Amino acid sequence: MKTPKVATREEWLHARKELLEAEKELTRRSDEVARRRQELPWVRIDKDYRFETDDGNASLKDLFRGRSQLLVYHFMFGTDYTAGCPSCSAIADGFNGFAIHLANHDVMLWAVSRAPLAKLEAYKRRMGWTFPWASSVGGDFNYDFSASFTKEQQREGRIEYNYEREEPADYRAIEGRQTGQWRESSESSDEGPVAELAARCGTDAATYIRERPGMSAFALKDGVVYHTYSTYARGLDALWGMYQWLDRAPKGRNETGVWWRRHDEYDQAAR
Amino acid sequence: MKTETMEPKTKGKETNPSKVVSEAEWQVARKDLLTREKELTRLRDEVSKHRRELPWVKIEKEYVFAGPNGKETLADLFEGRSQLIVYHFMFGPGWEEGCKSCSYLADHFDGANWHLPHRDVTFVAISRAPLSELEAYKKRMGWRFKWLSSHGNDFNFDYHVSATEEEKAKGKMFYNYRTDELIGDEMPGLSVFYKDENGDVFHTYSTYARGLDSLVGAYNFLDLVPKGRDEDHLDFTMDWVRRHDEY
Repeated sequence: MKTPKVATREEWLHARKELLEAEKELTRRSDEVARRRQELPWVRIDKDYRFETDDGNASLKDLFRGRSQLLVYHFMFGTDYTAGCPSCSAIADGFNGFAIHLANHDVMLWAVSRAPLAKLEAYKRRMGWTFPWASSVGGDFNYDFSASFTKEQQREGRIEYNYEREEPADYRAIEGRQTGQWRESSESSDEGPVAELAARCGTDAATYIRERPGMSAFALKDGVVYHTYSTYARGLDALWGMYQWLDRAPKGRNETGVWWRRHDEYDQAAR
Repeated sequence: MKTETMEPKTKGKETNPSKVVSEAEWQVARKDLLTREKELTRLRDEVSKHRRELPWVKIEKEYVFAGPNGKETLADLFEGRSQLIVYHFMFGPGWEEGCKSCSYLADHFDGANWHLPHRDVTFVAISRAPLSELEAYKKRMGWRFKWLSSHGNDFNFDYHVSATEEEKAKGKMFYNYRTDELIGDEMPGLSVFYKDENGDVFHTYSTYARGLDSLVGAYNFLDLVPKGRDEDHLDFTMDWVRRHDEY
């Protein structure tokens, strides 16, 4: 961090008001993008997706629980993972606190993962979360919404994530890259953020990266479910609560590799 | 209580698509939006960079707060870290409970605060009500973050989140960098401080009003659903919000 100059209150106020204009412009632009997002057309869903929930087997429509809108966080927890992805866990730490407000504003928020329900529930208990979490194991849901990919897709370079085709078997070095750059993975790399996160999930990089993070929105209208929106990769940036706070601190995100841990895995002395 | 078994309560506008299309047509519209979203992300990164270039103001005044560890100065609040984020929680002396909208924001603190200490950031909330009132309310809401009282000191007035007697008499208050009609005695805000190796404390940043918007994760989530925030028909934004134990 470069130490900024120390100013008088008047000088600071002048600089702060200038920044305020830039912040207001950002807020307006953000409102504008949100408005355009709401104008997106919808796609009717005719496939009968099935999920395992702690209230039994459920359809996509069941997940709405009387609301007209559904948000699904595609939580990376593959069938071979021994624990949920640490990055998704940090995102979940945030929404666990405010899901109740969404549920009372016509939005049901669920996490959906491919791991069997028993694994999800054990992990949820460990983390002390209360949001609903469904397993899509055995179904196409994760694949259809670009949150999981098959070995064949991976091998043949047919992965399309965040609305673009990934280069096949990309072996570029991933070290030193932003940890948020999920695409920069490779099957051969045993170092770097992806391999590190994979190890924390008890799996290898190739298996780990066949699951991807994302958020999908659905609407229920006259008994029909529609897909309205999905976002991935840095599109999740604003949903990752802690970043919004760090963006206001002098050092900013201050990132050097994968610094975050599951909240029960931090060195307790540091808290 | 499980959120998924709560009865849905709000009835806002109807959910209607602009158009129902095929997957291929949707992809075209979505990719067009993606370009705009990426521009917005880049702009947000730029503003964050601009924010980090703000000059700092050295703090000469000594503020003493009442907290769970007894009396603590502003410098003490850093707890060994170099950055301090203060949320100015609206809870004035004599209020029966904390502000409803701030309570909605506060439901976001603990989740982020698992992680902030590991990026050299200490987070606290500060309000003007006496400590015992804050602690009772914190217990009721089940929050973990540290909450201190600035009762009897100038902190809230100096950072323009509580109206001074003079401002109250005039009916005008300096808030969000301008003087305007007084809305209430307590206002929401966020202030950031830095402590250097010599122990000197600097004020680096404060934000108010809609400047707090992106810290409300629930809004960032609502911005992704068809109805959006769905507040246009309300008397004021957040009119639908309740304390989480009052839904």
